[in-house]
Amino acid sequence: MAEKFDRHILKNGMVLLGEPMEAVESVAFGFMLPSGAARLPKGCCGASNVIADWIFRGAGDKNSRQLSDAIDGLGLVRGRSVGSSHIAIGAALEAGNLEQALGLYADIILKPSLKDEQFELARQLAIEEVLSLDDDPRHKVMLKLREQFYPDPLGRSTVGDIAELKALTAQKSGQIIKEKFDLSQTIFSVAGKYNFDAVCQQIERLFESEQQKNTESADLGARKGKYTHIDNEGAQVHIGLMTKTVKPTDEDYYDARVAVSVLSGGMSARLFTEVREKRGLCYAIGARYHGLKEAAGVMCYAGTTPDKAQETLDCIVGEFSRLGEGISEEEIARAKVGLKSALILQSESSSSRAGAIASDYYILGRVRSLDEIKDKIEQTTVDSILAFLRNSPFRDFTVVTIGPKQVKVQ
Amino acid sequence: MEFKSEKLENGLVIIGELNKSAKSAAVGFFVRTGSRDETGNINGVSHFLEHMLFKGTDKLSALEVNEAFDRTGAQFNAFTSEENTVYYAAVLPEYLAEVTELWTQLMRPALRDKDFNLEKNVIKEEIAMYKDLPSFDVMDRCRTLHFDGHPCGYSVLGSEESIDNLTAEQMRGYFARRYAPNNIVLACAGDFEWDRIRRLAASSCSSWQKQTVERELGHSEGSRKKQRLEKANLAREHICLMSAGVSAQDPRRFAASLLGTIIGDDVGSRFFWEIVDKALAEAASMQFGAMDGTGAFCSYIRCSSENVAKVLDIVRNIFSDLSKSGITKDELTKAKNKILSALVIKNELPMGRLVDLGFNWTYLQEYRAIEDDVNAIKSVTVDDVYSLIEQFRPGDFTQLSLGPVRNS
Repeated sequence: MAEKFDRHILKNGMVLLGEPMEAVESVAFGFMLPSGAARLPKGCCGASNVIADWIFRGAGDKNSRQLSDAIDGLGLVRGRSVGSSHIAIGAALEAGNLEQALGLYADIILKPSLKDEQFELARQLAIEEVLSLDDDPRHKVMLKLREQFYPDPLGRSTVGDIAELKALTAQKSGQIIKEKFDLSQTIFSVAGKYNFDAVCQQIERLFESEQQKNTESADLGARKGKYTHIDNEGAQVHIGLMTKTVKPTDEDYYDARVAVSVLSGGMSARLFTEVREKRGLCYAIGARYHGLKEAAGVMCYAGTTPDKAQETLDCIVGEFSRLGEGISEEEIARAKVGLKSALILQSESSSSRAGAIASDYYILGRVRSLDEIKDKIEQTTVDSILAFLRNSPFRDFTVVTIGPKQVKVQ
Repeated sequence: MEFKSEKLENGLVIIGELNKSAKSAAVGFFVRTGSRDETGNINGVSHFLEHMLFKGTDKLSALEVNEAFDRTGAQFNAFTSEENTVYYAAVLPEYLAEVTELWTQLMRPALRDKDFNLEKNVIKEEIAMYKDLPSFDVMDRCRTLHFDGHPCGYSVLGSEESIDNLTAEQMRGYFARRYAPNNIVLACAGDFEWDRIRRLAASSCSSWQKQTVERELGHSEGSRKKQRLEKANLAREHICLMSAGVSAQDPRRFAASLLGTIIGDDVGSRFFWEIVDKALAEAASMQFGAMDGTGAFCSYIRCSSENVAKVLDIVRNIFSDLSKSGITKDELTKAKNKILSALVIKNELPMGRLVDLGFNWTYLQEYRAIEDDVNAIKSVTVDDVYSLIEQFRPGDFTQLSLGPVRNS
């Protein structure tokens, strides 16, 4: 069952991607706008979050309320996220309403009202969100971990920095929108039930424009501290740790993915078995691959009560190190079937597919078929994974903890 | 879509909705038991038992169970609520029979002392984890305050103390009383072979003994008590409001859902425009939850200490305006569109479909096609919603706040 992908590139460079899905009545679409946290000018950390809110507060001939009512009137299940590279906005909806929905989103991207009073509200909400992180240590520890692990500005907080948000102005944010909503680097994707010719004609009519000047590429700074602790009189020590690994564009990427899956794919994987099942140290424990275009890592979280924190960290680090010593055929087989199965289960959702094809295109410059990914996973072997781990061992961890007790990091 | 059902002599119901165009299939055992079926001295046992089912049978160790699931590539897990414990797996169609067979074995677990003692640590870590999540903690505590003696007020997780005191013997007793075949529904959705699942269930589950299973039903109007708790390490005020609603068996549950969306959807609702859009609180949402024989509206608000009084004034005004003037036709149309889209999109996935399929049978003992729910939502009127507001007075709520220490 070979899938079909649609692709069209506008004269201004904007990329349009599509994946038709026969079994669904819905459609999902998304715009990846090149204005994520790492692309912001220095001193504006959190501006992406403000902007992602501000542009919805009125656009085209509609004020904030009218715009929101129009979106709800079409029954859009909205999605909005800020990542390191992009602000992603989109929705899933009943296929018949796609044309109207795209009209609204074109206004949001190209003709946002950007009223000063609305900016203040969006900024205040972004500040509130940063302050609320103190009451969500599990989320906070992972944000802090990314900040410490990735070379600056890649790990910059996608939520924001209080001082920089307080100093942010409407004028500065407006300027960021003008510079960063660069259509030549914007990716539009659609998946589900749609007519690609009609979508292309509409997007072309709405978005075709002069080619913009291409934007800069940022210089990467150094990685930060090896160990960071934030004191909090909570019930648990929340531990985040991360180690460097290969990027999605590297040839041994699939070896890395299968290796991480042996560590933490299913419930029979090593971390769950050793840390939780055999020792009862944690409830929540898991590691996953985290890839940006420029750098990648294996990211791990565990939450445990203070007296067990050191043992938990030592046990996790031990499992990462032990991986290169040997992996059984059985383990590899389970890791592979888990990865392949997850891929197919996700492929039933129009939202997942719209997100996946856009992200593939951004990182790889093309869309991978499910068959290609399955084949690559299948081609990995015990030998190829052990060879990969010899060349790129999981060691040298960046560690962040939040809780009532510090740990010792070797 | 084709619906199939069968009932074994011991009362186990097997249902399936076939969708040949799906790429996956999902299976679930829906056990009609949860914290409301406990007593104070064994509070937390339903959830603990959910963990223990993964520890294996007389023939399978915990590791063998996890390996067996992972060999199929299943996305599998379980969850426990006040009144249901659900064990599920989503897989590629060719593996559905294998994971169903595995679940049927696990439904008769070994419940070994050794596993029980080790798992106590994991459960206590889970309790500690949620203590560090005030957005969850406040809802859990508010539920107890609201139901005030009604069994629906028991915490799903239990407390550290109740878990410390729980014995394996008590757990085995609870299991024997609650996991009777006539208290369980086996449901499948997606692309699968009905005959194979039916035969498999008949051969694996027919020996389970039927018995009398009871549940204390009865509606709760809620206590309407107000309470504030302080925690030194908190940065924001977390507020939960609860008020009574209709049950999962009541046809008005669709109108109640729409009312929840109109008042407290994440975007475009009354809470949103009056509170979140104005940046007075970072979060303000309301949801309706239908339960067995009762129901509740539950709101969650997170804001700064300085804004608490102002936000609560606005909330009171929203409720008083609703009871005076009701809702508008336009609000209702928007809420319907949002709920209908979300319903259709969720049900495109076999795993999403499984949940609705299983719960409809658990609560109503009936099959409802997606179109039945779509039509029920479409037919709700402004007056239907208003009569709910009049009867249940959502402004007359129980309130629990969790926030930082106030300097007085």
